[in-house]
Amino acid sequence: MKEQAALLSEKINAILTGAGSLLPELLLAGFFLLLVTLDLFRSKTIKQLLPWLALTGLFSAFLLQILGGYTSGGVQFLNLLRSDGLARYGGILFSAAGIFTILLSLQSRFLENLKEGKGEYYALILMLVLGLNLMAKSINLIMVFLAIEVVSIASYILTLTLKHEKRAVEAGLKYILYGTLSAGVMLYGMSFFYGFTGSLNYTEGTFWQALLQADYLLVTIATILLFAGFFFKISAAPFHFWVPDVYQGAPMPIVALFSTGPKMAGIIVILRFVAAFSDPAVASYFDDILWFLGIAALATLVIGNFTALWQKTPRRLMAYSSVSHAGFLLMALLAFGANYSSGVLFYLSVLLFMNYGIFLFLQITEENFGVTRLEHFTGLGYKVPFLGVMALLYLLSLTGLPPLAGFMGKLLIFSNVWEAYSSSGQTMLLVLLVAGVLLTGVALFYYIRIPYYLFFKRNYTEENLVISLSNKLLLGFFALPLLVLFFKPDLLLHWIEKLLAQTL
Amino acid sequence: MDFILSSLIFSPLLAALVLLLMPARLQKTAKVVALLGSLVQLVLAIVLYFRFDGAAAANGQQGYQFVEKLNWIGFSLGSLGRFQIEYFVGVDGISISMVLLTGIIGVIGVISSWTIKKNVKGYFLLYLLLLTSVMGCFLALDFFLFYLFFEFMLLPMYFLIGIWGGPKREYAAIKFFIYTLVGSLFILIVMIGLYTSVIDPLATAAQLGMLQTSGINPDTILQVQQSLQQNVIQGADLVRTFSIPAMMDPANFIPGSLLHVLSGTMLWDLPIRFIAFLLLFAGFAIKVPSVPVHTWLPDAHVEAPTPISVLLAAILLKVGGYGLIRIVYPIFPDAGAYFAVLVGGLGVLSIIYGALCALAMNDLKKLIAYSSVSHMGFVLLGLASLTSEGVNGAIYMMFSHGIISAMLFLVVGVIYDRAHDRMILNFRGLAKRMPAYTTFVVIAFFASLGLPGFSGFIAELLVLVGGFSSPDITGLLPRWLTIVAVFGLLLAAAYYLWALQRMFFGKYWIFPELREKATMSDLNAREYLMLVPLAILAFVFGIFPHLLLDKIGMTAQGFTELVLRSGQEQLQMVLSTIVK
Repeated sequence: MKEQAALLSEKINAILTGAGSLLPELLLAGFFLLLVTLDLFRSKTIKQLLPWLALTGLFSAFLLQILGGYTSGGVQFLNLLRSDGLARYGGILFSAAGIFTILLSLQSRFLENLKEGKGEYYALILMLVLGLNLMAKSINLIMVFLAIEVVSIASYILTLTLKHEKRAVEAGLKYILYGTLSAGVMLYGMSFFYGFTGSLNYTEGTFWQALLQADYLLVTIATILLFAGFFFKISAAPFHFWVPDVYQGAPMPIVALFSTGPKMAGIIVILRFVAAFSDPAVASYFDDILWFLGIAALATLVIGNFTALWQKTPRRLMAYSSVSHAGFLLMALLAFGANYSSGVLFYLSVLLFMNYGIFLFLQITEENFGVTRLEHFTGLGYKVPFLGVMALLYLLSLTGLPPLAGFMGKLLIFSNVWEAYSSSGQTMLLVLLVAGVLLTGVALFYYIRIPYYLFFKRNYTEENLVISLSNKLLLGFFALPLLVLFFKPDLLLHWIEKLLAQTL
Repeated sequence: MDFILSSLIFSPLLAALVLLLMPARLQKTAKVVALLGSLVQLVLAIVLYFRFDGAAAANGQQGYQFVEKLNWIGFSLGSLGRFQIEYFVGVDGISISMVLLTGIIGVIGVISSWTIKKNVKGYFLLYLLLLTSVMGCFLALDFFLFYLFFEFMLLPMYFLIGIWGGPKREYAAIKFFIYTLVGSLFILIVMIGLYTSVIDPLATAAQLGMLQTSGINPDTILQVQQSLQQNVIQGADLVRTFSIPAMMDPANFIPGSLLHVLSGTMLWDLPIRFIAFLLLFAGFAIKVPSVPVHTWLPDAHVEAPTPISVLLAAILLKVGGYGLIRIVYPIFPDAGAYFAVLVGGLGVLSIIYGALCALAMNDLKKLIAYSSVSHMGFVLLGLASLTSEGVNGAIYMMFSHGIISAMLFLVVGVIYDRAHDRMILNFRGLAKRMPAYTTFVVIAFFASLGLPGFSGFIAELLVLVGGFSSPDITGLLPRWLTIVAVFGLLLAAAYYLWALQRMFFGKYWIFPELREKATMSDLNAREYLMLVPLAILAFVFGIFPHLLLDKIGMTAQGFTELVLRSGQEQLQMVLSTIVK
């Protein structure tokens, strides 16, 4: 009994000392509770305060992570979490994504007209960001599972925000069905790993040493099962079927969040997982897993890009574009080496601005001008030139053309893959590289359809269309980094490198 | 260091910024601003042409004049070393002719655009952006910078064709965009491969701290290159670069990198350097364009408005040929020697096939588009021969074709403005109605088909001489290839003279349905202003070829020597790795 008490107090001590590094998460959790509580009041002024409160929470978490004085570094919470530079940079991206989501929500008329559930909406965004932070910090499979579930549950409800609309209900239902299925499969895979190794700390060397002893086929299968959950979150094939429906049904700010936040967190989780493969012994033993990842990346790239060609609505187009970007990121993860993560993180940062920019554009056109199909863009580029030009910038950046940051991101990733190919000589990497480069040509074909309608077709109505100043400012705000990061990518890269080197 | 090259590149961009800040209703002012922007560029180009010292411009590092070099992007990737992108521009004998051409055509294009009515501000904005990116392409010596300008060219062009073009403009614009983008993606792959393989010896020396101890002396570079090849420099100290001159020296390639001469890596039964050459060649061949990837050109030309056709034919196509000379051959001379027959063969195929297509066309603009394909084939042939005459001829051909094709497309524009139609069979005996116009058509046609006294003749002569002497001097091309190419001249005479006979001679007649709208008046002052200078230039460079050859000559000479010598050496090395 006494022993147990000593053990318990030791554990409590460990938790308490580790709590300092969880300050951003605690902050988010606190604000989440605050929002839920305040939402109970019927007062109109309090209700109007909620988004700003959420914004404050996210912004303080954002600042905290940028300044970074809080962290004690290393492993905390009984080997469950690790606050290293990777997690910290991830946290910065997630908080930024949360802030952008709320900014977009404040611009949205659909959300403004929402009768009930506005408080929950903002609270759940906080919860989602909290889950993302935990995903990035997890170094234990159970913790990964829990973090993913936090994100998922918040996502399911957020998808259903516009529940009076049929498409939202359909999207929510599909999302839950696919989500629970993939979570179950992932959990099943995790149980195998526990069986093989007796441990869940997948970033440790001993974990992989134990796997080297285990049955090869079963480990491969378990890994594939595990990746089902990860792939679901980053919307990679063949777990991408929910994407178009959810993008169709969810409110635009939430779609923007889905296209960035969970994807970035999922990539960081996979990044931690495949980091073990930079050990040549592991990599050569489990090369079937590498093949599986390579084929998945290729399939995601091909499916995403080619399916996007046939889409007729902007939301579905962006859904498949998001799938193709997942493929791209998976490809980057395969380029193992000591230096791959800065390229990936750079790409994620650029993706953040591109996606929020384009979804803001879609939100403006959908809510103000009633655009739900690509043809409806006809002639808008002439009516609202600023909007058209900004959309053009985002789309070209998504395609990866200079002089925009999307090109730099792609260039970095291609360089990493090339380096990996020239040092390892794996044909698969070359195939991926060539496919990735050539599919950019396909990508241009579907992205350019929006500017095509915006500028090539004339719409001869006499309506005078305007967009608000706040929207204009936001559009400019998302576009500016795309130009800056093309001409001076080293600014961000240096910073990422510094963060990654700092705490390990 | 003076900033004449940067001023050349960015003067249209500056004008574009002014335009951007102007209210859209000031259409007249917009035109004037664009004209000023392009005039400044022309004046600077002429100044540069006279200040450029042709005799000093041997190839190699020292050959570049007016060099500007600034660090632009640099980041370190741990054990992979540093990556460095520079703002690095310079001019040599290859680029000086293209710079002059761009200056001239830029102004002609603005004058030709004077009648544009739809969205004037947007039009000239894109036009000026296009001028900046083309000029940037011709002056960049850093591959990244080159690629930036190369890609950026697509966008203004896409909108210029797609918004201001003819009835099928959208199709033509997207076809143009996709074709050239795929081409530039091929280039991108090789660019990545190259910059991860090549180091900048001087910057690496600085990284190693060699400059502090001994300062820069001629041996430093050699020393670094030696220790690089002996593999004694640590990965983290390597400074990888996009600099094209650095890529031209095989001693700068990191041993063990895939594109190193001795890498021995095979891909589909070819050394990987050869694959890289083929990818780059394909990328630029689309732009040239060479048969069989030329099909975007007739569509783009037919749909583009006249000034854009002029720009496309006169300077944009040249970027393809220029890329081959500036990048593909000097960096991969071994593969250049190995694939000489392929490149020359595609050139001859373009010459003959383009000419045959031109013969079959009923649309005057399409005829001229195909004649462009045919004439650009000479560039490939001259280049593949790797003789001094051939390379001189290839560059001369690009310049001369720039002047003459601009004239040809302007001439088509004149008739299209008046009749809103340009079908050859819809017109007869135009010489009676429009004598001055007919004179310029005759000049343009004869200049293009290579009549002595015009610049086209000099270019074709040089290329053919180069081609014929190639079997004896370089042993790269079989003689029959050049003999076949000569038939292209014959075909050119056939399609031009036939078109001339059908449209301009005989009794005046135009297709009845056109009569109501058509006003077949002779040239106006604006059209004289464009056609007269071009005609004079075609004459001047036909009679005094040394005006240009003096500037090109030394560089072309150095280019052939370098490419041939190192080409043969490296080819032996590459082939030696295969035998093992």
